[in-house]
Amino acid sequence: MAKESTTIDVGEPSTVTKSSSHVVVDEKKKGFVAAAAGGGYKRGLAIFDFLLRLAAIGITIGASSVMFTAEETLPFFTQFLQFQAGYDDFPTFQFFVISIAIVASYLVLSLPFSIVSIVRPLAVAPRLILLISDTVILTLTSAAAAAAAAIVYLAHNGNANTNWLPICQQFGDFCQATSTAVVAASISVVFFILLIVISAVALKRH
Amino acid sequence: MKNESTIIDVPAESSSAMKGKAPLIGMAKDHTTSGSGGYKRGLSIFDFLLRLAAIIAASVAAATMFTSDETLPLFTQFLQFEAGYDDLPTFQFFVIAMSIVSGYLVLSLPISVVTIVRPLATAPRLLLLVLDTAALAFNMAAASSAAAISYLAHNGNQNTNWLPICQQFGDFCLKSSGAVVSSFVAVVFFTILVVLSGVALKRH
Repeated sequence: MAKESTTIDVGEPSTVTKSSSHVVVDEKKKGFVAAAAGGGYKRGLAIFDFLLRLAAIGITIGASSVMFTAEETLPFFTQFLQFQAGYDDFPTFQFFVISIAIVASYLVLSLPFSIVSIVRPLAVAPRLILLISDTVILTLTSAAAAAAAAIVYLAHNGNANTNWLPICQQFGDFCQATSTAVVAASISVVFFILLIVISAVALKRH
Repeated sequence: MKNESTIIDVPAESSSAMKGKAPLIGMAKDHTTSGSGGYKRGLSIFDFLLRLAAIIAASVAAATMFTSDETLPLFTQFLQFEAGYDDLPTFQFFVIAMSIVSGYLVLSLPISVVTIVRPLATAPRLLLLVLDTAALAFNMAAASSAAAISYLAHNGNQNTNWLPICQQFGDFCLKSSGAVVSSFVAVVFFTILVVLSGVALKRH
């Protein structure tokens, strides 16, 4: 058997089709052939994945810090109304800051896995780990972004039926900062969806 | 050279060489019922069942929120005494989003059936994974924004003088909170579906 395999390798290099290379795959040349064929585009996907992660780190750190520093104090006072607004006045915004910070640190911790999948494009385990953890983090990010968006919408528009007044009319800067943070978190949600799709495409058998 | 090829070909057709050469000769059909096709088919069946469960969760969420109207048996000049999902734009978004998600799940059932019938095909699974991820994010957005509003309705916010309306509208709050919980259950199902598709996609 070994003798025929050797003959195939030497005798028909130019006419070896993809199906024949499956036979070659069973022999020592597996790694070499595979790196040339399937590994190329998977490595490209892994590099794109790494860059997306870096961009997502920047955006999530930005979102969390903008919300954290979104304070405003109005320069007048009466007996009845609050004249300071900060992220800690809203439990939803507190949840936002904490969870987006968790997402940012997860992204930093996932960078080594991304590098491993660049170096070993055909390894399945790192990509599968990234896909599963990215899915969980996607749900956390979209939860934080959507909940904060609901509160920001209320702050801008209020609700006549429940007698909730829009506070943005007094706290313009605060509203601006929180809206920016929500938009940034929504962009990071899009990044996460892209990351999951990249991992899935790179995982599939070729 | 041709001589060796002939020698290679002939043993390749004999039964002793079958196993090693099976992928070459297109015996892959047998693999759908044994080897890697078996567990992938099992994953596909589990995927189909999860989809059915998620359809129930998502449609229950939409229906409960849609029918969460309450009218109080008293009236004054100043306050609203009816509460319904359409009084809060976030709850309107919730009903529409959960309906879209339920419709998507029903439409994805045939694709799931295709992955049961052809466990080794990657295109349907990849399509399902991408669509499920988008639906997961959409579902989570609806669920968590409705949860934020429900939290406000239950607790209010002293700093902005937003009063908790649940103290008057108990049934409305109960039903809308139930709808939110049901849609979070659908989110969990979607997460499992995405992970399932990812595991089933991987090369074996």
